[in-house]
Amino acid sequence: MIVVLGVSHRTAPIDVRERLGAASEGTAQVLARLSSLPELGEVMWLSTCNRVEIVASVSEDVVDQAVFSMREELARQAGCSDASELVPFLYERRDKDAILHVFRVASSLDSMVLGEPQILGQVKAACDAAARANTIRGKLGSLLRRAFAVAKRVRTETAIGTGSVSVSSVGVDLARRIFADLRECVVLLLGAGEMAEAAARSLGHTARAVRICNRSFDRAASLAGEMHAAAVPWEQLDAELVEADIVVTSTASPIPVVTRDMVKRAARARRGRTLFFIDIAVPRNVEPEVHGLEGVYVYNIDDLEHEVARGLHARRGELDAAERIVRDELESYLAWSRSLDVQPTIVSLRAKVRSVFSAELERSLSGRLKHLGPEERDALTLMLDSATNKLLHEPSTRLKTHAAEMDDAEALAAAVRLLFDLPSEGSEPSIEPADEKTQPKIVQGERRLN
Amino acid sequence: MSLELPDLLLLAAAIAYLGASALFTVFLLGGPANTGRWAPLLITLAVPLHAAQIVWSSVVSHTCPVRGVHYMMSLAAMLAALTYALVRWRWRIDIVGAFVAPIALTFLLASRWAAGVAREIHPLRSALLPWHVAANLGGVALFSLASAAAVAYIIEERLLKEKKLEGAFQRFPPLEALDRAGHRFLSLGFPLLTFGILTGSLWAHEVEAGGVSAIARAVLGYLSWGLFGSVLVLRAAAGWRGRRAAYGTILGFGVTVVVLILYVLHGAYGVPTPGAP
Repeated sequence: MIVVLGVSHRTAPIDVRERLGAASEGTAQVLARLSSLPELGEVMWLSTCNRVEIVASVSEDVVDQAVFSMREELARQAGCSDASELVPFLYERRDKDAILHVFRVASSLDSMVLGEPQILGQVKAACDAAARANTIRGKLGSLLRRAFAVAKRVRTETAIGTGSVSVSSVGVDLARRIFADLRECVVLLLGAGEMAEAAARSLGHTARAVRICNRSFDRAASLAGEMHAAAVPWEQLDAELVEADIVVTSTASPIPVVTRDMVKRAARARRGRTLFFIDIAVPRNVEPEVHGLEGVYVYNIDDLEHEVARGLHARRGELDAAERIVRDELESYLAWSRSLDVQPTIVSLRAKVRSVFSAELERSLSGRLKHLGPEERDALTLMLDSATNKLLHEPSTRLKTHAAEMDDAEALAAAVRLLFDLPSEGSEPSIEPADEKTQPKIVQGERRLN
Repeated sequence: MSLELPDLLLLAAAIAYLGASALFTVFLLGGPANTGRWAPLLITLAVPLHAAQIVWSSVVSHTCPVRGVHYMMSLAAMLAALTYALVRWRWRIDIVGAFVAPIALTFLLASRWAAGVAREIHPLRSALLPWHVAANLGGVALFSLASAAAVAYIIEERLLKEKKLEGAFQRFPPLEALDRAGHRFLSLGFPLLTFGILTGSLWAHEVEAGGVSAIARAVLGYLSWGLFGSVLVLRAAAGWRGRRAAYGTILGFGVTVVVLILYVLHGAYGVPTPGAP
């Protein structure tokens, strides 16, 4: 059974998440301790800005004990002396709900920013860390591989990841729509507000140069030092408007600091080069009339927030379609998983039939057929092997198919065991990647992976 | 009625251009993103069909392609589509195909119609004539691409000014990429047009005998040369780029199209060519 226990932005305030996120121990140590617990079969530790959770595969008979141990581990990581302190912030998912949760997390349907792409990479990194620590093998490994495929399908078949959903990313996206190559652009930061800083940081990764112009030169110099940018005196603003391609404004000035006349003067010296203003100040720092100048574009905070709202709306509009895909994949995964439950029965059945045939063959070969030579004996063995395969092919396929379609596959397997006097199976079969590859053959009518 | 191979090739190329135009239209109207990927491929597919049609037709009719009036537009369209297919990815101007495809389709079909109007440019016995025509055709092809990029630029720039960032705007490449592409096409086409103008002036004395149409064509040829040259000079000297350069390019191409139409309707030098009604 799959179990998930953790905290996320939906259940815990940031200070709780910070305590867990800032855990002094590395992932390898946490995984080592968790995997040493006998009640946990396989385990993965996922830690991001907005969630910290343990995903584990456990036996049904020790599930409560496993959840208790997982809770203790989370409390230890959060530095809680008593695990009950953490309980109000924890969520717990078991079995089908846990699988659904893993699919939704990987597909970014449970993210703070719906559809953000980073979470899939974070889940993959957590999976890799667990694989390196040898704490995931068959069942959890298969689940995670399927979760990645589900996330890919959600991203491909819906527009959940399209559109910008933050003011700074909208500004950067617009800059990309205007300029052929941001690496050739000079970014000028007017003022040193937090939002301008965020936008400039996004642009600064790719821009040719970032310059910071602030009424307080010291503040500009300080920020410039943090961002590997150049500070320029406020008095040089006119000259900087000639050089810059993208201007991000966020001063607290009650009147516009960039006027139409200033930009018009600069435009003459710019020789037709495009100038893009991202004005995120309130009140506005750039006169609205500047937008009317040829080759100059001004987008203020309202314009940008309108785009953010549009992006979020578009993503929410895709949520239903994404959820449908996830649930569809969940059913497919559960069907495949159920089909594996009868695998030990099939193996036993084949072994039984083969042993009966072998015993009969052996008796005949030592009796009436003892005159046969080695070649004839080999031919008879091959014939019986072939007969076994042909005889059991249909029952095996039907058993798997019906198990996939039925909720209680165990009853069917029990009936077969009873009919053929097979030994009862006490343990779950290990799920190898090879089994996963055969899944589309096993579950008829289901969608093929990849 | 049985279709011969050139007709089949023309039909296939026309269908590919038409398909590309339709896919681009769907793409710009907010259709699936795949349509924007398939449309340029359809133009790329149309190019060899179109080229084969021109070669096969000229072989069948024993006419050098650069001498047949009805091949002129077809060749120009094919060269434009070929150039687009070669540079679209590197210059990030896939969307220019939305204008190239209908232009190519129009020129291709017009060439079919023109085949019944005029047969040959002029029986001038000059080795320079094919080069003159080829340079002009190359120029026309590049100017059609420049004007396609200019139209795309003006549309995108207007959307950006009006802050209409939904729908079609999302399907355009960066504004500056369109401006740069337009400038590059113009810079490449202008020397060809200049060569065409210079070599054409060698037969200027015959133009004098060619009547009003030939004179109008020559004057318009010089005008288009002047317009394209002005766009390039003003861009370099006064920073006229973006919207102004786009309008200048479209105007120059408009004049070029008029010259082409005069060619087709009246043959070279105003003499209705054999077979013309």
